[in-house]
Order: sequence, then C-alpha cells, then structure tokens
Amino acid sequence: MSWPRVLAARVRGLVFGGRLDSQLEDELRFHLEMQAEDNIRTGMNPSDARYEAMRRFGGMESVKEEYRESRTFAAVETLFRDLRYALRTLGQKPGFTAVAVMTLAIGIGVNAAVFTVTNAVLFKGFAHIERSDRVLYMTSSEGCCVSYSDFEDWRAQAKSFQGMAIVHGVRVTLSDKGGFPEYRDATEVSADTFRLIGREPILGRDFATSDEVPGAAPVAILNYSFWESRFGKDPSIVGRTVRINGAPATVVGVMPPGFIFPQNQDLWVPLVPTPNVLKRANRDTWFVFGRMADGVTIQSARAEMETIGRRLEQAYPLTNKGFPPVVRNFAGFYIGPNASLIYGSLWGAVGFMLLIACANLANLLLARALGRSREISIRMALGAGRWRVVRQLLIESIMLSAFGGFLGWWVAKWGVRAWDLASKPSWFNHVLDYTPDYRVFAYLIAISAGTALLFGLAPALRLSKLDVNATLKDGGRGSTGGARGNRLSALLVAAEMALAVILLAGAGVMIRSYINTYSADIGVQPEKILTGIPNLPASRYPDATARMSFYDRLKTRLEATPGVESVALASTIPLWGAARLSYELDGSTPVDEQSRPALSAVTIGPGYFRTLGATVLSGRDFNEGDRFLATPVAIVNQRFARRFWPGENPLGKRFRLFIGNTPQTWLTVVGVASNILQSDVARPELNALVYLPWRQMAAGDMNVLVRTSVPPGSLRNTFRTEVHALDSDLPMFGPLTLIERLQTRYWDKARYTGLFLIVAAIALLLAAVGLCAVIAHSVSRRTQEMGIRMAQGAAARDLLSLVFREGMLPVGIGLAIGLASSFAVNRVLKSELVQVSPGDPLTLLVTSAVLIFSAALGCWIPARRAMRVDPAVALRHD
Amino acid sequence: MEIRYTPVGYQMKDDRAGKADVLQGTLVLLVLRTLEALGPLHGYGIARRIEQISEELLQLNQGTLYPALLRMEQEGWITSKWGPSDNNRKAKFYSISSSGRKQLARETKDWERMRATIDRFLGSIPDALGDELP
Repeated sequence: MSWPRVLAARVRGLVFGGRLDSQLEDELRFHLEMQAEDNIRTGMNPSDARYEAMRRFGGMESVKEEYRESRTFAAVETLFRDLRYALRTLGQKPGFTAVAVMTLAIGIGVNAAVFTVTNAVLFKGFAHIERSDRVLYMTSSEGCCVSYSDFEDWRAQAKSFQGMAIVHGVRVTLSDKGGFPEYRDATEVSADTFRLIGREPILGRDFATSDEVPGAAPVAILNYSFWESRFGKDPSIVGRTVRINGAPATVVGVMPPGFIFPQNQDLWVPLVPTPNVLKRANRDTWFVFGRMADGVTIQSARAEMETIGRRLEQAYPLTNKGFPPVVRNFAGFYIGPNASLIYGSLWGAVGFMLLIACANLANLLLARALGRSREISIRMALGAGRWRVVRQLLIESIMLSAFGGFLGWWVAKWGVRAWDLASKPSWFNHVLDYTPDYRVFAYLIAISAGTALLFGLAPALRLSKLDVNATLKDGGRGSTGGARGNRLSALLVAAEMALAVILLAGAGVMIRSYINTYSADIGVQPEKILTGIPNLPASRYPDATARMSFYDRLKTRLEATPGVESVALASTIPLWGAARLSYELDGSTPVDEQSRPALSAVTIGPGYFRTLGATVLSGRDFNEGDRFLATPVAIVNQRFARRFWPGENPLGKRFRLFIGNTPQTWLTVVGVASNILQSDVARPELNALVYLPWRQMAAGDMNVLVRTSVPPGSLRNTFRTEVHALDSDLPMFGPLTLIERLQTRYWDKARYTGLFLIVAAIALLLAAVGLCAVIAHSVSRRTQEMGIRMAQGAAARDLLSLVFREGMLPVGIGLAIGLASSFAVNRVLKSELVQVSPGDPLTLLVTSAVLIFSAALGCWIPARRAMRVDPAVALRHD
Repeated sequence: MEIRYTPVGYQMKDDRAGKADVLQGTLVLLVLRTLEALGPLHGYGIARRIEQISEELLQLNQGTLYPALLRMEQEGWITSKWGPSDNNRKAKFYSISSSGRKQLARETKDWERMRATIDRFLGSIPDALGDELP
C-alpha cells in the first residue's frame, strides 16, 4: 500500500504549498521556453513559436489547478483558498456584509435564545427531580382543586403509575427556644413524596408512612438554606423539637442544598388526612404528582385518569362535577397548562422569523449576484466548473451565517439574560437552568448551517447557470436573465410577506387575548390602591381580639394620613383566588359530608367595595355592627345570586357553612355586590362569590387595602412607617400597588405575549427592509429606463406607480396567502386564547393595514429616489 | 484511506487524423520507461521523448504530464532534483527510483498480459469467437 507515502507527501504539500507553487511556475516556464526555442529552430517566427508552444501545452490554468489538487488535499486546500477569497469579497462590500450579518445575528440569535429557554423548560428536565420526564402533574380542573379523597381513589385505581404523591403549600408559625415565632412557608406532603421524586435527606431520615397517620407525633424536614440561616447548619438539629403552629414537632431531616419541591419552602411536614382533609368537597390547593410506570406514556396515563375521573363523577356528582382530573407533564406545574403549546408556538414564531431573514438574504445575494455575473462569467470562461462556482458562492453564504451565528450566540446570551430578568418575579425561575447545554450548541450550529444553505443555494444555483458568452457581451450590466431573477425575488418577497402576516396575526390574537384577560372586567378600579400584608406573629397576637385591635388601630392611623381616601381589609385581593368552603343552601336537601359542595368566599371588612371601586347593588355593605355576637350576615355577588337564586330576590336568603361535619349558624344575605373576579375570567364557577364580615369569620393575615388620592406608590414609606409605629418588629409583605400585584398574576402571559409581539415586529421590519432592498435594487437597475420615460414626458406620479406596481404585487400575493394560512396557524393557539377567535376579523384587518403600510413605506423610500432622477444623468447611467 | 486519481493522459479536442490519445494509465508506464532508458530528464525532455519515440503518433497534451509527475513522485516511483539544463538554465530533473523500477516491471507485465489477451482475440478465427465455450 502506497497511501501512507502519498499522505505524507500531501501533508508536506499542505505545509510548503507556497514554495511548491513558485517551483511549478518555474518548471512550466522552463517547459514553454524550451518548446518555443525548439519551434524557432524548426523555422517559426518567435511569436508563432510561443503560441504553438502554449497550444501544445494545453490549458495552463487547468493544469495548475489539477497540479494543486494533487499536491495536497484538494478539498482542504481549495477550501482555504475559497475562504480567503470569500473573506476578501465580503470585505469589499462592508455595507452589504454588515446588513447580512446583522440580519442573521438577530434571526439566529433570537432563535437560539428561544431554544435555550424552551430547552430548559421542555427538554432538559428538572435537575432537582429524578427523571422529571417520567413525572406527571395532576389537578382537578385546571390548576387546582384536587380533593384528598379523590387523590386516594386515584392512587388506588390508576395502574399507569408507580406511585403518587400529594403536596399542599401552607404557612405555619414556627417557634423554638432560639428565636421569635415567625411565619414560614411549609409544604405538606404525603410521606412517600421524596421517594417518588428520587431525592433523600442529606441528614436524618425521610418521612415514613407512620408519620402521616392521624395522631402520629408531628415531624418536619428542613430546607437546606433555612437550616443554614435559622439554625446555623447545626447537625444536632435532627431530633430536636420545634413548635409548629404551637404544637411540638421533631425535626427528622434536612434536604440537600438548593433542593426545593415543588416550590419555595422552608420546611416540609407530613400531610395528615384528618376528617376535614378527607372531605371530598374540600378542594384546597393540593397538587398531585405521579411517576409513570415503565412503558406508560403521558397519553395512556391521561386516558386512564380520565376514565377514573368519570367513574368518580358518577359516584359523587355533587362534589366531582366540573372537577375532572387534568394530567400534565412535570413542567406543567411550573408553566401553566399550555406550556408545550406556548413554547412550541414561540419556537415556531422565531423559526418563521428566521425564514424571513433567509428570504431577505437570498434576495440580497440574488441582487448582488446579478451585479457579479461578469466576474462569475470570467471565472467560468477560465475553466471553473459549475460545482466550483456554486461552492465558492456557498462558502460565502456559510461565512456570512458563521459570522451571524457567532454574533447570534451573544444575542442569544443577552436574550436569555433579559428573559431571566423578566422572569425574576417567578420563583419558578429558580428551578430552571438556562445554561446552554450540548443541545443548544448543536441547535445553533444546525440552524446556522441550515440558514446558509437556505439563503445561499438559490442565488448560487442561478448564477452557475449563467450564459457566459451573453453575459460577457452584455458588458456585465447584469440585465441578462433579469426577468427570471425578478420573478425569484418577487416570490421571495411574497413568501416573506406571507410569513410576516402569519406572525403578526398570531401576535395580534395573542395580544387581544391578553388584553381580554388583562382588562377583563375585574370589577374594580385598581389604579389608586396600595396593599400590604402585615404578618402578625401568634406570640404577640395570640387571639382574634388582639389581631382585630391591631387592624383597627392601623386602619385609623392610615385613614388619618394625608392622601388616603379610604382603607379596607380583605383576606385576599382580586384575581388571587378565594377560600373554598363547604356549604348548604337553606331549603336544599341535606347531603352527606363526602358530597357536600363548596363555594368561594372572601372575608372582608366594611368599605371593601367602596375602596376597590366596586358597588353594593342592593341591600347594604357590611358595617362595624356586623360583629361577633350580632346576626351572622353575608353579601353575595351578582354571579352567585344569579346562579343559586335565579329570578329571585337574594336579600334575606340563608345558607350555612360547615367546619368539618359541623354546620355553623345560618348566614343571611344582606347585600348583593357587583362582580369582582377572584380567578381568571374563564372560570365562572370560581367567580361566584360570597363575602363574609371579618369580625364574624376569622381569616389569617389580612390584606390592608388603601385607596389614595395621590399616586399609590408615593405612600409606600408612609404605609411602612404607620405599621412600624404600631409594632416595630412586624414583618410585612409589600406594600405594593394593587396594579403591581395584579400584574404579577399576568406576568407569564405578559411575557409570552410581549415576546410574540417583539418577534412579529422584528419579522415585519425584516420583511419591509427586504422589500425595500429589492425595490431599491430594481429601481437602480432601471435608472436608465426611468430616465427615458421621464425624457419622454412621464410624470413623477407615473414612475411612482410603476415602482409601486412592481413592489406591491408580491405584497398583495403574500398578504392573501398569509391571511389564509393564519386561520389554520392561529387555530393551534386556540386553547390559549381568551374570548377571541383565531380568525379574529379586527386582528386580521389591523394586521393587513400594518403590513400594507410597512410595505408601502418600503416601496416609497426607493421610489422617491426614482422620482428624483435627473433624466440627463439617468440616460448616461451605466 | 483511498486516494483517487483523476484519469491522466487525455487529449485536447483535436481531430487530426492518425493521432491517438495517450491511453489512460499508460502515461505512467511511458514516463517510467523513458526515465529508465535515458536517466535523469526534465519534464520537457520527457514529453518530447514520448512524442519522438511514438513518431508523433501519440499526441501528448503536454500540460497533463506535470500533475502525473507530481503523483508519481508522491508515490515514490520517481525523485526530482533541481539542476542546470543543457543550455545552463535551472530545470527540475526527474529520475526513476528503485520502487519506480519495480512499478515499471509490474506495469510492463500487466501491459504484456493485456497485449497477449488482445492478440489472442485478434489472431483467432472469427467464427470461433461465436462458438459456445465448453
């Protein structure tokens, strides 16, 4: 075998290429001179002799080319030469190169950024959970309301799962000898939760089944950072007793650093199924996680759960109607019901944007290619093969997209950082890891390469089919094959416009949906309201009297503050949910505890409706007389009244609540209030509300709502001062304006919608710039024609309409195709849309208007130049 | 790893009657044989020699010689050295190496065998070609 020797020789060739090149020149020159001399000797004159020598030698350049190809590794060497040449070519047109690279950097960068986020949420899995892709998240109806009894039935009946765990976030008071009692976030979990997710304490032991038996000695497991901050990482904590909600509990373990599950908490305690917990109507904020058995898919698990749900609904129609099991992947817990849909469609959107960028570049290259046809023709005349020309042009494209990809990497980094910052309000962010992994790199490289092929291939193929002779004769003005080039670029423009329309229409319905959610009539005027939640520790505020006295004094002080109009108390604020309580309407057939239905209730103080800007429509508001021993009263909202007493006067109607299985006293409806949303607008069953007076229905820490006459933010410090004047050690949530707190309710949706809008705007900009470039190029090529037209008396208006006709035709076609496709594309978003149809006419109308306007602008800029042409100059124009 | 060769010895489009293309692959044989017979020679000398020996019947597209020489050198069949030519100009002289002699022997044998085969076809009775083989 001789190949090792050849290989070695070629490696030498690669290294000493330059010297060998000049040696070949010497050798060939020697050859030609010798031949010429011999020819002279046979009697030719010197110039004939030289010509004959060259003729006998054959194609000098192709010999050199072949020689070079054999000298070293042909591919490597020509690649280097092509790269050098491509760099030079790109360097000669810095403007073009800059535009192209920037376009690509944005297109590729935004894509990679969205992929990084999508990757972190959907593919990478959650590092704090073992095999999070096998763990499903389950609720009853969207986002809430599992009842413990349902959970037990699910766990007993479902064959698709290895195991199920139930969790529930609670606030507890924690006290020990070392410090003041304080409120802490805890999570109640079923005993096998940590085993289910595959994590165990680094210190002490996991919960055991014996810990969740009613009457078992209370135990707790600590979060690592809480152990660190509160107990100074004291290992002797295991076995020590602390008081949780006043009762002694033993700390049995500490979880690993950084571990939280499922959301921020300081400690975990076992969820003990007390009779109250076991009530089927008790649909608290419990969530269920299940680990799928081997071979089970999310679809089959979902199907089985739905069957079980239907069975339970038949067995317990009163409590289970309207609460079917909803099965989602693990990420669903963190990012809401439509995670895959939202991230998928975002991804699709940025993909479309990249396609637009590609079409743009293809057009730019095409325009440039026509300008380069003379160069290419010369190269082909000199013996460059078609593949050689295509390769050279493709290398230029690849280089552009490599630069674009490189810059795009930074765009992506900054994009992800911005997204990260925008996500800060969400603790969900803490469980996500946005550092790029191999998938992100692979994706970046793949889209860069794919992009290069996509935008480079068409112009390269077109150029390589040049008619060499015609082009050279044409003087390189580049008008040869113009019609076909025009058709291709018109086609590209139409495609860009269609994609832009789809994106705009998609963003449009998302925005409308967001507006519908956001401006859905919450039923309050939130602008001038400041809110805060003082945390009253049980040690200093042991009973209702002490707590009420604190709120009364705070209320009085705040009301006396300049700029404050009114102050009210409430157990929660609009959109932040409501308590679910078992109830019975007066006159309805009594049912057993298991099937007792629940209603949504908010505990409020007098003046709540006035402070929020809602109204009491009939009857009366609560007043200071609605206190402990007075007649128990309630206010219902219109939705509640209409649902339970349709066509009747709700005033004077009675219902009662249950604590455990014990009925409480009857409550009399004394007022009907206007509707206020406590949950999202699409959930009417949770927005039929009753209001209970705070002195009759004890609630935990109350929201203090302050209506101001000045901008609410300006009273933050005053609020704090007043609270601390009463109790200097009091921790407090806020104060935040009501708007701020309502917005955090929407931040998720706002982010997605904002991102969609940004992507669509970039896409529109790219498409408009693309159109502008194509028209500008066409106008500059037709300068002479314009000049002739003007010389013959065409008015500026005629030229304008000429340019517009050329420009707006593909826009019109693109618009038509885009509108037609957006019906189909937007349907994908349907489940995410609130009160807006995928084919919303207003959105499509606005979209069309925006697109036509941008396109017209894109045409007008170059058209203006055409109108200003001086005929005398234009005629001389080459 | 396999290094592919592009065919060498093809001729420029030229339809002057009676002149044959240099057969693919035979260029190596011709060059090695020339160098073995005449000793060190520069490229022009080799080209002229091949043309002379074939009495100008083999029309060599002279340029194609150089890539072939490079490849033969890479294979180690020939070596090259710069030196003064007859008229005292700097020229690159090629000479055959020992592995080149072996290659020459191999190629000669192949060629002989090929020629014998062709001869058998050309020398046989035409009808016999049509007979069924036993």
